[in-house]
Amino acid sequence: MSNSPLIRTIDLRKAYETEAVTTPALCGVDLDLHEKEFTAIAGPSGSGKSTLLHLLGGLDRPTSGEILLEGRPLSGLSKDQLARLRMTSIGFVFQAYNLIPVLTVLENTAFVLELQGVARAERIERARRILGELGIEKYADQFPNRISGGEQQRVAVARAVVSEPSIVLADEPTANLDSAASLELIDLMRRLNEGKGATFLFATHDARLLDRVSRVVTLVDGRISTDEVRDSA
Amino acid sequence: MKAAIRHLVRNRRRSLLTLLAVLCPVFALVVMFGFASANLSDMFDTVTRVDTGHLQIRHVDTRAAGSATALMQDPSPAIEALAGIDGIEWHTVRLDLPALASAGDRSRTVLIQGVVPEEIDPISSTRSLIVAGTYLTSDSPGVVIGKELADLLRVGVGDDLVLLGAHPETGVGVLRVPVVGIVDAPIAEMGRSVVQAPLALTRQLARSATAATAVVVRVAGVTGPWDSDRIDAVAAKLRAVLPADYVVLDWRDLVPQVDVFLRILNPALLIVAAIFFGLGALVVLNTVYLSVMERTRELGLILSLGASRGRVMRSILSEAGILAGVGAVGGALGGVGLVWIVEALGGIPLPAEYSAFAKAVGINSVLHLRVDAPQVLLAAAAMAVVAVLAAWVPALRASNLEPVEAMRYVE
Repeated sequence: MSNSPLIRTIDLRKAYETEAVTTPALCGVDLDLHEKEFTAIAGPSGSGKSTLLHLLGGLDRPTSGEILLEGRPLSGLSKDQLARLRMTSIGFVFQAYNLIPVLTVLENTAFVLELQGVARAERIERARRILGELGIEKYADQFPNRISGGEQQRVAVARAVVSEPSIVLADEPTANLDSAASLELIDLMRRLNEGKGATFLFATHDARLLDRVSRVVTLVDGRISTDEVRDSA
Repeated sequence: MKAAIRHLVRNRRRSLLTLLAVLCPVFALVVMFGFASANLSDMFDTVTRVDTGHLQIRHVDTRAAGSATALMQDPSPAIEALAGIDGIEWHTVRLDLPALASAGDRSRTVLIQGVVPEEIDPISSTRSLIVAGTYLTSDSPGVVIGKELADLLRVGVGDDLVLLGAHPETGVGVLRVPVVGIVDAPIAEMGRSVVQAPLALTRQLARSATAATAVVVRVAGVTGPWDSDRIDAVAAKLRAVLPADYVVLDWRDLVPQVDVFLRILNPALLIVAAIFFGLGALVVLNTVYLSVMERTRELGLILSLGASRGRVMRSILSEAGILAGVGAVGGALGGVGLVWIVEALGGIPLPAEYSAFAKAVGINSVLHLRVDAPQVLLAAAAMAVVAVLAAWVPALRASNLEPVEAMRYVE
């Protein structure tokens, strides 16, 4: 693990404003994430987990504060530059609706590579390889609606790591899965973290999953309440 | 492209609606233009073959006293001028003479069209319109009349007519001539008021051995009113070489009412086309907009993964483009197919109650359709472009979605 963080947030704040009300979601978050970490952001609903992930992924902009990704501030980037950053440096796994329904599992997995302009033969080969590593190659030609929720999340993980991004951000990836499928998914992510050195940061409010991570950052009311480094599970 | 096609297949009903929004206007326009084009051509052909030609050379005064056409006592300078002009398909001398036609106690004012039968025969449809008797020959003294006039005067083939010709420049002449043929004239008014006679016979009536009212000219390569440039070019050449006491009139000068009709028809067709395009565009805009709304979360996901706004726009526009292309080609092929079937069946005969009206305005009582390739291509291409432009608005909306908000979108 190098000393310079992969991601650094400095006094990160986000408030959602309507005409009548301003609702603070993040209230000054300072956080360093390093390469190859396998970190969970825990906390109750409404604590700001998803907001933090959206800001780190360049999907939303902070009200104030700064995010540095590999030392590069995100605040000055245009919409198109943020899109490019997401395409090249960040993998996403969302809670639901992760896959594009008209693409097969293989095509979904290769989608980010297609955005990056990788040649067809290469992206098919890389997508098949990662599906094989995750044990879901047999679904390669299936459409998302023909496979289970757990399998869909595995495909989403495959898509998130296939382009070897700097970090994979996962927002409650197990929220719609049963216990067994949830643990399987986290184990799979952990294997990728250990085997490929992929950096993971995922939000969860499922305490059972926290045994399997190396670091738990707990948010309460938009602030970091604890930041606990654990021995590898 | 594969994803675009899958999206279209996935939402079959909406895709079909979008497709029909393009296909129907193109189909309707191809048929409408085909109908207009064929019947314009028919009307133009009728007028220029049977009556006016494309051009006429007349005496510069045009009109004599009253309504009679001024006489050229000697048309030979005009005929000589034609010899040096390129692009002339055919010409003939004609003498139009106002007259009173009588049979028994019935009479009617007519226009005697003195023609050289052998010269007008190759281009005139009159011979094919004969319903009783025969057509004229130069050496026979008979006349051909319309069946409407035959009914009015109660004469048939072999009966005599007394023609009292009266021209302000030559005075009055009288002849008794037999009816040798009766025609079913393409325009009812012609059938009532035109008597076709050999030129020599008409000159006897006009009491002049060389007189003519017009040299009638047809220009080569003219298939319809859209070829007026060719006619204008020949007219300009003729005007440059003719002596000052001759004037060149084109078919628009000679039958201005037909020209006005044609001038009105084209803008009217364009207005109808614009309405079709507008309606088609509204349906396309609506269906593509609905598609974008339904796929907001999917578009949010695509944007989250790093797709550029341009890519999102292209994906929406490519779907609209596929439907627009297929719809335009389908509409064009459908329209052309219908035209082909109608023509293979010999056209659409008008019901009897409309035939009289059609004849009165010079339209064939069997309606035809005609495929005009540039018009078909233009209609199809224009509708396809309009459809893609209509899809631009929802495509722009899709490309401007905020990824997080789009992924939270609930239908």
